[in-house]
Amino acid sequence: MTVDIAAKRRTAPRRIWQTTLYHGGMLLICCIFLLPFYWMAISAFKNNAEIFANPVAWFPDPIRWESVGALFSRDDFPVLQQFVNSCFYAGTVALAVCFSCSLAAYSFGCLRWRGRNLVFGLTVCALLLPGIVTFLPVYLGWSAVGLTGTYVPLIAPFFLGDAFFIFMLRQFFLGVPRELMDAARLDGASEFRIWWQIVLPQVRTALVIVGLFAIVYTWNEFFGPLIYLQDREDFPLSLGLFTFQSTRAREWSLSMSGALFTALPMVILFLLTQRLFQRGLTTTGLK
Amino acid sequence: MGAVTLEGVRKLFGTLEVIKGIDLTIADRELVVFVGPSGCGKSTLLRMIAGLEDVDYGTITIAGRDVTEAAPATRGVAMVFQNYALYPHMTAYDNLAYGLRRAGLPRADIDQRVRDTARMLQITDLLARRPKAMSGGQRQRVAIGRAIVRQPQVFLFDEPLSNLDASLRVEMRSQIARLHRELAATMIFVTHDQVEAMTLADRIVVLNGGRVEQVGRPREVYHAPANLFVAGFIGSPAMNLLPARAEAGALVLALGPRLDWPRIDQNGPARPQGPVTLGLRPDRLALAAPGQGAFGGEVVLAEHLGDGSVLHIRTDAATTLTVKVTGDVVARVGDKVGLTADLRGACLFGPDGNLMFTA
Repeated sequence: MTVDIAAKRRTAPRRIWQTTLYHGGMLLICCIFLLPFYWMAISAFKNNAEIFANPVAWFPDPIRWESVGALFSRDDFPVLQQFVNSCFYAGTVALAVCFSCSLAAYSFGCLRWRGRNLVFGLTVCALLLPGIVTFLPVYLGWSAVGLTGTYVPLIAPFFLGDAFFIFMLRQFFLGVPRELMDAARLDGASEFRIWWQIVLPQVRTALVIVGLFAIVYTWNEFFGPLIYLQDREDFPLSLGLFTFQSTRAREWSLSMSGALFTALPMVILFLLTQRLFQRGLTTTGLK
Repeated sequence: MGAVTLEGVRKLFGTLEVIKGIDLTIADRELVVFVGPSGCGKSTLLRMIAGLEDVDYGTITIAGRDVTEAAPATRGVAMVFQNYALYPHMTAYDNLAYGLRRAGLPRADIDQRVRDTARMLQITDLLARRPKAMSGGQRQRVAIGRAIVRQPQVFLFDEPLSNLDASLRVEMRSQIARLHRELAATMIFVTHDQVEAMTLADRIVVLNGGRVEQVGRPREVYHAPANLFVAGFIGSPAMNLLPARAEAGALVLALGPRLDWPRIDQNGPARPQGPVTLGLRPDRLALAAPGQGAFGGEVVLAEHLGDGSVLHIRTDAATTLTVKVTGDVVARVGDKVGLTADLRGACLFGPDGNLMFTA
């Protein structure tokens, strides 16, 4: 029997309606979520009068580059220095998290020891504690050792692990075949070497995901830097932008340029790695 | 030398005892196969010998050295895993060399050993490939190579052929047998495949519920199973086990027929008391015309294997018997048949389930 390839494949009518409705709905939700970001982006290229004009101009006409240029020449908003600070802060935290949390996750996911599940349960319980609860004693501790005003209190705790990332990495570590580790033990590798040379290469994707999550979290972190840092030159972008906006409330165009400059690295990062982000979200059951 | 001795070895997972006191001696250069149903503890026992599971009670000795507390790498053993366990991010060369590097061997020695092993297993062409670029059989050869290259005293195989297709399994089986001859090393092989056990083993260890049911040469285990469990487990299709009562010079089966068996002597040493069980291999039953022979019944299932057929026959007493017939015997489901029994090679099990004697 031959098939007429010119014949149109039958599609159930209900499926067409469902697809149209689904994509239409999703498009509407996307627009709602993107609207503030679009407003911020176009406002960076307008002056104050154009920003508050009625009716709203949905595209800047003319496109004004003045505030974008001014962003990098202001003494009260050292945006490039703060960008470097943010990169250092986010990068170091990402490395710290990947190192410490993967070690803890290896122990919870790949090693058998008495009380393992209890300790893991207690670790996960730490997720239930809001940061504000432990903030004061922790701050007093860092203050006592004279390290406030530096990045040490913001970064050092991540070298001791983070409950969320430990939980996330453990899920990936559980998927590594036990036989690989057994083979390495028979080959004479120590547990540290097994973690480093055998297991970590199997969960590279997970490490990248955890690193990305840590970068995004740290890039947007506001409360910690606000508490521990005092000098504008030391601020990360999130805090620097807030400080600028609170002191120069009328310079809307410049504020929007700063906000755009702060948000853009994360948007680019997300666009480049969105598959990994999605995988991370589905693995942890977050949304 | 690579003799392995287990004395009173026990293993508990929590309160569940999975290995219940095993005493076993495996001679140097012997190939011993552990067989048993799923969950009987054969893989756990192998892992205990490898040092991958702790021994809760008893001792394990390899080559005269107590290794019960020793680390896996210092026991002089190498293991081949069911799923190969090749390091996916390393080439075959690096997989083979990894253990040697950990042992601190000079680079030239490592290269020499890896290439010698690759030549022996004909995997030289694969040395630059990663596992994902190899077929199942190639991966298995690399996994065996990784064990050989360390020159251990004892090789441990944990169901290494179960992931291969039937023809490749036969090929690898013969390769392992060849390696055993060439390397002259002690090998312990875990399988649930009776054909592998029967063809490879110098001796078979039948395990059940964490205990050793029988240790013996393959023919011995097949022809003189120590008890009802071994009789039912070894052999495919399984032995027919028929409840019976012993009389002088004969057996009266619960199915009805009376079979003459002169060896049964009610006054002699082989004097069965109480209910006994007759064990008959399926090839010791033969078809006869309906109404003739010791039993009668109906064919309820016919499995045609090409060179022969296995018939499942429900007897008039509602017991199902398995009969192995040659390929030229034609029988269909629903056919009424008679059955004759040849008691040569039959086994008689006493009331405690242990073998009393064979015909």
